[in-house]
Amino acid sequence: MSAQSTTKPDAGQPATDYRPRHSGFVSAASHLGTAGQPAPELTRKRRSRNREGLEAGRRSTRTLLWIILAAALVVYGFPFVYLVLTSFKTPIDTIAVPPTILPREWTLENYTSALGRSGVLASMINSVQTAVISTLLSLVLAVPAAYGITRYKTPSGQVFIMAALVTRMVPPVAIGIPLASMMASAGLADTPIALAIAHTTISLPLSIWLMASFFEAVPRDLEEAATVDGCSRLGALWRVVIPVVSGGIAVTAIFAFLASWNEFLFALLMTAVRSQTTPVVIANFQTQFGLDWGSMTALAAVFSIPVILLTLLLQRKIVAGMTLGAVKG
Amino acid sequence: MSSRKAISRLAGIGSLSTAVLLAATGCGAGGPAAAPGNATSAVTVLVEAGGHAELAGVAEKCKAETGLETTFVELPYDGLFNRLSSEFSSGSVSFDVAALDSVWLPNFKDAVQPIDELFTAEAKKDIFPALVKEAQVDGHFIGMPAWTNSEIILYRKDLFEDAKNKADFKAKYGYDLAAPTTWKQYKEISEFFTKDGMYGTDVKGAVETEWMAHVLQAGSPMVLDANNNVIIDNAAHKEALDFYTSLVKSAPTGAAQVDWAAAQNLFNQGKTAMTRFWAHAYRQIPKDAPVFGKVGTAAMIGGSAGVAGIPGPWYLSVPKATKNAENAKKFIKCAYDHNDLGIESTLGLAARMSAFEKYQDKPGYESFKPLIQTLSADATATRPSTAKWQQIVDTVLVPTLQKAVAGGDTAALLAEAKKKVQDLIK
Repeated sequence: MSAQSTTKPDAGQPATDYRPRHSGFVSAASHLGTAGQPAPELTRKRRSRNREGLEAGRRSTRTLLWIILAAALVVYGFPFVYLVLTSFKTPIDTIAVPPTILPREWTLENYTSALGRSGVLASMINSVQTAVISTLLSLVLAVPAAYGITRYKTPSGQVFIMAALVTRMVPPVAIGIPLASMMASAGLADTPIALAIAHTTISLPLSIWLMASFFEAVPRDLEEAATVDGCSRLGALWRVVIPVVSGGIAVTAIFAFLASWNEFLFALLMTAVRSQTTPVVIANFQTQFGLDWGSMTALAAVFSIPVILLTLLLQRKIVAGMTLGAVKG
Repeated sequence: MSSRKAISRLAGIGSLSTAVLLAATGCGAGGPAAAPGNATSAVTVLVEAGGHAELAGVAEKCKAETGLETTFVELPYDGLFNRLSSEFSSGSVSFDVAALDSVWLPNFKDAVQPIDELFTAEAKKDIFPALVKEAQVDGHFIGMPAWTNSEIILYRKDLFEDAKNKADFKAKYGYDLAAPTTWKQYKEISEFFTKDGMYGTDVKGAVETEWMAHVLQAGSPMVLDANNNVIIDNAAHKEALDFYTSLVKSAPTGAAQVDWAAAQNLFNQGKTAMTRFWAHAYRQIPKDAPVFGKVGTAAMIGGSAGVAGIPGPWYLSVPKATKNAENAKKFIKCAYDHNDLGIESTLGLAARMSAFEKYQDKPGYESFKPLIQTLSADATATRPSTAKWQQIVDTVLVPTLQKAVAGGDTAALLAEAKKKVQDLIK
């Protein structure tokens, strides 16, 4: 359609013939009536066309977003789905060439074999112990640290928070060996508490940064109002600020829990008989003589259930926490 | 419920949980702590996950005979080396016995103590010669072989015995179709079976062991000579590499990426008619595999220097840092005395010739005769005793092999490899 045709709506040209132009070469004057003002009917049609254009734009954006979302879901979700499906395959199916997605024959044998293996239940308990202790330690240390840094804004606080981040830049393997030796010297060798402390070194910097961003989002006025109402500084923190950032605490707790739950290297270096966690036990299915895919995937599937449940339980808090962090500043 | 109440409740539950958990952490869920050096009749054995099964029977027997209580610390193969390095370097160990892969012996030779008294004349006679040689470092025995392995030939007995295949093969090549005894036969049989979506053999580009075995069969030491000179560009290495790459056309595509697991899968799925593989794989063919019950075994084939394979043994060693050396040695003696118990495990291997011989004629153990024959061969040799071996494998041998199976010029690749190895060991 030519530029001119859009200027002759009265010539029986149906409005549906309009196609949005992106080049913008149609001059503003060409849309005007003889008096230099837009005619009412023309304006209506133009608005209607603009709305249609916007709707079409929104529709294509939505479609694009759905495509990206579906692709992301496949990329991130498929490995887990494949893992779960593999856990129901027979031994020969797990190594099929080419691989099959669905089991040719469904079996629970892998679950029986994996869960019946000596030490698996104990490793699950150890994983829970270690992750819970590590999460609590992270929160107990990160919440006051982050609160102090954001509320007092001293130069040393700024240095501290930057320094905390630097510890994330050190490869875990570089501190794993000395940490293992230190724990052994302290008589904590092969205990969940030692591993939990080690895991806290991983999660604490991130926890401090996360909590700092959540505290930043809480207006100081809230605390001042609480103080006016008779609260002490700590009372205001406990009664007013903490409930406001509870979503942020949930997010931080989830991150700290996951960091500990899935951690492998420190667990490998620091645990032996009584505190070995499940990631190490899962890795034990890969030996020099072969890989027991069925049992490995079965145990991995079981191991992921608590994390999925925890995330679902705290879903609301997580969303609230993420929103809280997003509107700061 | 208000947020405040929720937080209070959470805090309460959290405090309670912490108290309970902290109390529980005194012992952990896995049982009492390993206490090397403190127990009078206990021993802690650090072992790779697959090796645990090998030694479990020994531990039971040892307890029944001597009262020695064994605790295993099981770790994945990839992590075991890190754990050993970490504990040996700290000077404080959490175990009394360690099961070491043969390639690690040179790395840890200074951290483990001699166990010469366990290598009696009878023991030296009953252990494969290459293993006796490898266990001795700087004039002392530092590890007792617990189990060993070697590559043998696995082939599809059903295809080899098929009347049509036999007739067609004889018509084409002029001799009977049977398990190959020369590399020329191996190559021709591979070509013969490469049809209708099936392949004669696999070519493992991601592992160096078979190429190195061909080098031994051609009469040369692997990569380094007795004086640590790099000889990777000699005629034997080139001949071995040329032969190895010549099999590519009878093997599934993507040879550069084929490793042990892939080759084992291909054979178990019935995609290849023959494979050169570790002997333990024979007993590990899944019962629901299409090839189950249809596999034959043969000894590794020889070259101009005769039959040769590369053993894959694991050794039991006692760290210098343990204070429980007496019990550690008691356990190792048990492991030697009852070495045949490993054969009853899922892995099904041993280290003593007498243990293999005890089972070799039993049904289901058809891989043992070829294994004994390969391990006893004069040209069979262990990997060079250098702490840099694994690095040489990962950074030079495997990349060279991958380029070669992808069609690279072998002479040029070996010349380049020589320089790289020289840089690594200087």
